[in-house]
Amino acid sequence: MIVSEITDPGTLPPKELEAVYAIARAVGQSMNIDMALDEISLLTRPVFIFDSIILYLPTNGNGLEAAYARLIGRGQSAEGDQAWGESISNETFQTGQVIMRSEKLDGWETDRLRTRYYLGLPLRIREELMGTLVFCRFGGPPYTPEQIHLAEFIAAHVAQILGHKQLIERVGNLEAEKRLDQLQKDFIATISHELNTPLGFIKGYATTLLRTDINWDETTRREFLTIIDEEADRLRELIDNLLDSSRLQSGTLPMQFQLVRMDSFLRDITVRASSRYKNLPIQLDIKKTDVRCQADPTRLAQVLENLLSNAVKYAPDANVTLSLDTSPGKVHIAVQDNGPGIAPEHQSHLFGRFFRAPEDASKVRGTGLGLFICRQIINAHGGEITVESTVGVGTTFHIYLPMDEKCENKGIPKEEDQNDYQNPRC
Amino acid sequence: MTTKILVVDDEPRYIRLMEANLISEGYQVLKATNGQEAVEMVAEHRPNLVLLDIMMPVLDGFGACERIREFSNVPIIVVTAKGEERDRVRGLDLGADDYIVKPFSATELLARVRSVLRRAQVSGSVFQQTIFKHGNLTIDFARAEVFRDEKMVFLSATEYRLLLQLARNLGQVLPSEQLLVDVWGPEYHEDKEILWVSISRLRQKLEDDPRNPIHIVTRPGLGYILPPLQE
Repeated sequence: MIVSEITDPGTLPPKELEAVYAIARAVGQSMNIDMALDEISLLTRPVFIFDSIILYLPTNGNGLEAAYARLIGRGQSAEGDQAWGESISNETFQTGQVIMRSEKLDGWETDRLRTRYYLGLPLRIREELMGTLVFCRFGGPPYTPEQIHLAEFIAAHVAQILGHKQLIERVGNLEAEKRLDQLQKDFIATISHELNTPLGFIKGYATTLLRTDINWDETTRREFLTIIDEEADRLRELIDNLLDSSRLQSGTLPMQFQLVRMDSFLRDITVRASSRYKNLPIQLDIKKTDVRCQADPTRLAQVLENLLSNAVKYAPDANVTLSLDTSPGKVHIAVQDNGPGIAPEHQSHLFGRFFRAPEDASKVRGTGLGLFICRQIINAHGGEITVESTVGVGTTFHIYLPMDEKCENKGIPKEEDQNDYQNPRC
Repeated sequence: MTTKILVVDDEPRYIRLMEANLISEGYQVLKATNGQEAVEMVAEHRPNLVLLDIMMPVLDGFGACERIREFSNVPIIVVTAKGEERDRVRGLDLGADDYIVKPFSATELLARVRSVLRRAQVSGSVFQQTIFKHGNLTIDFARAEVFRDEKMVFLSATEYRLLLQLARNLGQVLPSEQLLVDVWGPEYHEDKEILWVSISRLRQKLEDDPRNPIHIVTRPGLGYILPPLQE
């Protein structure tokens, strides 16, 4: 039986009308579909008997799927799997009409409750069909026209909640798209600025030296040539970093994992950094000697060299300590300086691509890619890199790498060459 | 007299590049590293030309150009990495005389400097007025500050722009519609009420007796005027 659509709640008797107002209020206050339906079930039952209520929503395919279902009263003791009214729901969705059906299950002659009365209601916002709401009564009585009005009213409210939810999702998606779009625009703006700046110096100083109307003195010539040389290096570094960061992000940067003995590895890093940065006093603090990791030594060295060169740039007169320790299952490397520290508001953005603290951006050269690359490399190792910093006290970068399982809890044979970090034997 | 050129850029290496080339041509070079500093340097040192970068901290080149034009017609060449048409148009609309896009060659820079200086010589000397006085009212165009009886008055950006329009056109009646277009923009040309609100607030802040204003005077049916005062 297809029921004609009558939706004027003004024709409802007083008790029903009261329930209708209570439902409208409940819907207004609750924007979570499950909570709203729980509330609606509770408010509806005194004026409208039903044993189950099921909300069906379209799936990504073509079918409908139950998104909410409650068995109430007699429904709770019945065989649930027979009371879900799926075929009524499909018919309602296909026709877009209110549909009433009864179904006789085996043994209906002796058990009244085995006759089921279904009421299928389309959920519609304007012309869009958003799903169906199905009520079921075990053993009757059939639905009266007033009860159908009430059910339609409930369905209209449920549709409203769904519509609202859909709008929120759409707004959320649009905002996410907008954010992504903005990030891409910022990325292009930053990268074109970063590439253009060294190029501008190279072009400017080269053409200055090429001027035929003036003879620059030797000191000036050397000054300009040094700038050209440094800016060419900066351009190359930027391009390398850009390639690394996009390969790391797409997972196409090949990593050569091997067993690395961390104490020897850090000794090697310290020696190299000390010869490169003559004015940087680096303390090496090896708390545990018997630790190894599966790591790509070239990439891991890139991370540590980046952290040390940051210390040189941002904490020029500070002391730096490179330490090695373990925590359960993990190798812990820390790069600590007693420099000026990083303001708390910048710490959470530090590993973001192209992030540079505004106060540093004009004073210190950098691309804002270094720490981003560090995090990507450490992530590719299954590890974690974090920062801890207090303004005026200093900054510590913590790197946690998974300890090699085979080596965990094993000592190192004494005769092993302590400097050969790439061929450790467990 | 040597020609003074103010070079404004936040990258020390650009400043050095322009400085070296300009000095080699006999110009005197002044330096600033942000827009705010540039505005102050123009007011204080009255350069013959400004080479102005766009992307700078504190106040960017567009902002600096706009502020400089409030009190000076010094030639400005915008030197920018932003070579897109809308950026070039924006710079020129804000009162820049020419632009040069980074990366540039040293010879091109010097040629543009010569060309703009030549044009400026033809069109007459640099006009600059940084301080405007009207009775007990003083406007410092370079610092965008307003004083009443030597005490600083805080004006909103809109109020300041409105006052600036009247001061620049001293003795001229400005129709409401023109003020709305100049201060708020063309889409506001009929919104007389917002003009009335701002005029009233300006009078509260600037006039000794807002009911009988001497600075911002209404000419019924015509508009508003900052009348010439007989000292």
